[in-house]
Amino acid sequence: MNKKDHISYKQALEELEKIVDEIENGEIDVDLLSEKVKRATVLSQICKSKLRKTQEELDKLLSEVEKEDNEQQETEPEPSS
Amino acid sequence: MVNQMIASQFISLYDLCVLIREVVGDNFPEYIWVVAEIANIKENQNGHCYLELVDKNEERVIAQARATIWAYNYRSLSYKFEKATGETLKRGMKILFSAQVQYHEVYGLSLNIKDIDPTYSTGEMARKKRETVERLLRENLLELNKSLLLPLVPQRIAIISSPTAAGYGDFMTHLQENSYGYQFSLSLFQALMQGEEASFSIIAALQKIKKQIDLFDLVVIIRGGGSQIDLSCFDDYELSAEIARFPLPVVTGIGHERDDTVVDMVAHTKKKTPTAVAEFLISGVRLFETQIEELQNSVIRYSDRLLENSRFSLQENLNTLNHALKNILSHTFSTYQLLAIRFCLASRKCFSDHQNRLSLILQKVNAVLRQKFQEAKNKHLLLEQFMYHFNPMNLMKRGFSIARMNGNLLTSVKQAKSGQIITTQLLDGLILSKVEDKS
Repeated sequence: MNKKDHISYKQALEELEKIVDEIENGEIDVDLLSEKVKRATVLSQICKSKLRKTQEELDKLLSEVEKEDNEQQETEPEPSS
Repeated sequence: MVNQMIASQFISLYDLCVLIREVVGDNFPEYIWVVAEIANIKENQNGHCYLELVDKNEERVIAQARATIWAYNYRSLSYKFEKATGETLKRGMKILFSAQVQYHEVYGLSLNIKDIDPTYSTGEMARKKRETVERLLRENLLELNKSLLLPLVPQRIAIISSPTAAGYGDFMTHLQENSYGYQFSLSLFQALMQGEEASFSIIAALQKIKKQIDLFDLVVIIRGGGSQIDLSCFDDYELSAEIARFPLPVVTGIGHERDDTVVDMVAHTKKKTPTAVAEFLISGVRLFETQIEELQNSVIRYSDRLLENSRFSLQENLNTLNHALKNILSHTFSTYQLLAIRFCLASRKCFSDHQNRLSLILQKVNAVLRQKFQEAKNKHLLLEQFMYHFNPMNLMKRGFSIARMNGNLLTSVKQAKSGQIITTQLLDGLILSKVEDKS
């Protein structure tokens, strides 16, 4: 499993929406366009494959995401400095 | 009189009980309609039904009696009751029944139930249910679970059901064999789905889920179809309140045909059957995937549009540039042309000025030259005339001759000596002559 697969559905959706907005509003440089389109495809593929992971993979993946989320939540309130 | 009896005579307990039986038997009509709450109900091996009936005044028991329904009667009565109310006869239920008051010397007072009017219980249950709903409403619990957002992707499902229930199998099969190939993480939390213990058992399962709430997106409570009876556990206040307060959306699929149970009412989403719940979950995932697909399509569509626009504006820019260049060029060209023309004109003017001046000069030079030439010519003519006149040949023609002596021109007489030879040159030859004399 790739590290990038750990992106949550929500994150993926939000990022996709952002990309669409950027492109729709023409805020994006044509030079960056292919990069964004590529990213959108990757995000969409991650989601689609995640929806179809086997239960074992799914449980593992989801529990890992949970763990990360929890760790994040735990570490977030404390500023490192 | 009693005192007298004790004092003078007594009867046996049996006699007393016989007496009571006779009094009871004589003083009651054969059947009497009574309202009571079932405090306990049991069916023995023979199919006879034994009940404890109570009457309460605000939870305090103010009357209590035993009752029986004999097997032959119980079977038809319970069938009729279940059909009409959707419920079995059970503890806590208020019933209106017609009974025979009996007294037995050993077993005491007992009511032999002949008939039960289910409409009373239906009304009573409806009232209780209405009260439960009103209480939930008052406590702001009725809409609480509905206010939760459904998960973006309902993929991790906590199932409350009984593994032996037919609906559970349908649910699992339906989810696992969905045509899109979606995978679900399914965890079963076993609970009793009917009977008096169901409510407590489901609450326990909910609490178990609550302890690991982060692992789930959604809770489903499912129960197979089939038996339409015994749903009153789903009208229970405690269970309904627990579901209402549950931090995850709860979806119900309690297969039944009658009006919604209170649990259905407080749940986030209510479906008729477990299969419908499975369908709901699949469509939820599908919705997300459609959203993703549409976004991706939008990315492609907008990108194409953006590229098309860029291409168009590039072309536009090129055209503008082209146009501008042409403008500049033509402008420059015309400027240069103008300059050239001006240059031409100027130089032509300049040239002609110079030419004029030159020709003027030339004319002057010509005139001067002509004059000089004329003068020279005149001089030359004079000279020519002069030369002509002074040419020795011409002089000789006119009679002059040249005399030489010893090759020298003889210009004086003194040169000449007698006897010497003088050469005289004439036009047509020489004459030799000897000097004889001189004068």
